Amino acid sequence: MVDLTQYLPILIFLVIALGLSGLFVFLPMGVSRLTGAHKPSKDKLAEYECGFPAFEDSRHQFDVRFYLVAILFIIFDLEAAFLFPWAVSLDLTGWAGWITMMVFLGELLIGFAYAWKKGALEWE
Amino acid sequence: MELKQSLGLIAPEILLSIASLVLLLVSAWAGDKASRAISVVACFVLGACFFIVAPTVCAGVAGPDVVAFNGLFTADAFSGFAKLLIFAATGAALVMAPKFFERTNSMMPEFPVLILLAALGMCLMVSATDLMTLYIGLELNSLASYVLAAFLRNDERSAEAGIKYFVLGALASGILLFGMSLTYGFTGSTDFGTVRAALTGDMSTGAMFAVVFVLAGLAFKISAVPFHMWTPDVYEGSPTPVTAFFATAPKVAAVSLLMRVSLDAFGMQADAWRQIVLFVALASIVVGALGAIGQSNIKRLMAFSSINNVGFILIGLVTGTVQGASAMLVYLAIYIAMTAGSFLAIIMMKDEAGAPVEKISDIAGLSRTKPALALCLAMMMFSLAGIPPLFGFWGKFVVFQAAVEANLVALAAIGIAASVIGAFYYLKIVKVMYFDEPADVVKGQSDWAHWALLIISTAFISPLGYLLTTWLGGIADKAAATLFLVAA
Amino acid sequence: MQPSTRAPKWAKGLNYDRGEAVIGIEHYVVVSSILFVLGVLGIFLNRKNVIVILMAIELILLSVNLNFVAFSAFLNDLVGQVFAMFILTVAAGEAAIGLAILVIFFRDRGTIAVDDVNRMKG
Repeated sequence: MVDLTQYLPILIFLVIALGLSGLFVFLPMGVSRLTGAHKPSKDKLAEYECGFPAFEDSRHQFDVRFYLVAILFIIFDLEAAFLFPWAVSLDLTGWAGWITMMVFLGELLIGFAYAWKKGALEWE
Repeated sequence: MELKQSLGLIAPEILLSIASLVLLLVSAWAGDKASRAISVVACFVLGACFFIVAPTVCAGVAGPDVVAFNGLFTADAFSGFAKLLIFAATGAALVMAPKFFERTNSMMPEFPVLILLAALGMCLMVSATDLMTLYIGLELNSLASYVLAAFLRNDERSAEAGIKYFVLGALASGILLFGMSLTYGFTGSTDFGTVRAALTGDMSTGAMFAVVFVLAGLAFKISAVPFHMWTPDVYEGSPTPVTAFFATAPKVAAVSLLMRVSLDAFGMQADAWRQIVLFVALASIVVGALGAIGQSNIKRLMAFSSINNVGFILIGLVTGTVQGASAMLVYLAIYIAMTAGSFLAIIMMKDEAGAPVEKISDIAGLSRTKPALALCLAMMMFSLAGIPPLFGFWGKFVVFQAAVEANLVALAAIGIAASVIGAFYYLKIVKVMYFDEPADVVKGQSDWAHWALLIISTAFISPLGYLLTTWLGGIADKAAATLFLVAA
Repeated sequence: MQPSTRAPKWAKGLNYDRGEAVIGIEHYVVVSSILFVLGVLGIFLNRKNVIVILMAIELILLSVNLNFVAFSAFLNDLVGQVFAMFILTVAAGEAAIGLAILVIFFRDRGTIAVDDVNRMKG
């Protein structure tokens, strides 16, 4: 027989998760009705989809500026991945490791300053 | 203490990285007008690196004293020799660029910065004694090169060259990486010395795949034959100074890297890779020679010429001897001078509006309108063809000599026969320049810096170059010997 | 369900005698080889869009990463995982540069179809 008792933590987890997520959805709705802030408008009822209308042809061309943001994001996001192994092994690498990482972060900062100065962070 | 020593050994790399980062910030704040100043500073930085590295090459340093970071990096005489060539070729590209880009107002201060970063990557490549350093260096060089290929942002051909170079270069890196992951899995290490020790005796199938994938990835980078298809398009589409750069410095770096990987890391399995390299060498010579026939664009022709020359260089690797390695280094030095000189001459050919002239039919009768330029280009072509009084012959001679002494007489014979076929298209350019009716397209004056560099490289490949043979051969021997010392 | 007293038999692969399957190193290598081949085919057989090529390149790099991490666990050696970190970050840089070049190409030509990358034929 399969012993179901060991799945109890998962059951508890699911119950709590459902409860909390239900709370997050319905509590604001209830509060807004009670306080009188419940004024639905077209924009408030629209689905949220990253600044695009949610339902249209998916072969739509993206604005090139999204790509520029994506380029910057992917670099600064993934380069930070080096911080995790560095952080857990700092007791082994010592000051040499600390200085090395600071040099690396300094280089990232230079790249960031360059992108900023070149106006890559401006939307318009 | 150990760390301090390691940092001392990578002094040229540290200088290059600090310089490129500082210049990057300067380029952002000072804007386009600082381009020329930044180029000049970049040239001085390369010169400083040259003088840091030069003494180590002359002294022929080797052994455990020059191994930095627990075997990740080796600053021996072999890497030093390659670095000197890289610095020289990179400097030449920097001198060529400003005049070329200024005509279309597209000289940006990022150009010298990218070139410096590519040079830094190449320094890491030639010094790498660990697969990880190898990969980082290779990618640093490649990523800078992709951007350089697409540097003329408003030129369709340049953007297309960038895409092609990027896609095929990334594929090559992927193949190389897959080979490296198998190497790591089947030998348990990424260090060249440990890999070498693990790959003794009979090889498992997995290790065999590892060797083949690594060699295929590197063959891509040196544009040797089964993996050469990107070369003509990228060379044609990239801005000419960038093409000149691609044809010189990264070739030196990738060939040196290939030498170290095959002779050091895979050194105990020479029989396994020798056949592959032999095939690649012969195929490159033949395809390079035949493909060049019928080309009408001189940059495409130079692309096939570079494929052809890589074939000759690889003959030295097939021998697997110190002499062969030394011959490769000598050939590389001469090849750099010939190729850089040819591209200088190509850059100096401009029409009335200052636009670059690339069609071979447009340089007809150049000897009558621009005799000095035609003479220099003709000498470059004769030298690339390996016609005796010029220095290009010496490079081919030492390689064939090494092949004969390693009992590869048949290989040497095929190589000599193929170099005769190859001579055909080089001579065609000379014929067009000297005997055809003038097309009268090439006009305008050239920069003094271009002339100076062209005269230096022409002097180097002229018969005067033979004065250097003893000296060049001497340091190449020392450099090649360190490669085998590490391996022993 | 008592914890296994023996170390997993990596090299032997499937261990059927105890009624459980142990995933061995060769399974990882086979999966990563399949991913690698898919990536290479994705580059050469794809006739639509350069973005798809970028994805194929990422697939190749991730298959290599899988290899490195699997070998690293198998060999009990951390170098493979460090290497995987480097590949991840370099892949990010590569993707960024690929996208940047693609944006330039699109601005010049107004298309990113593979068949339109044909101004030079070689």
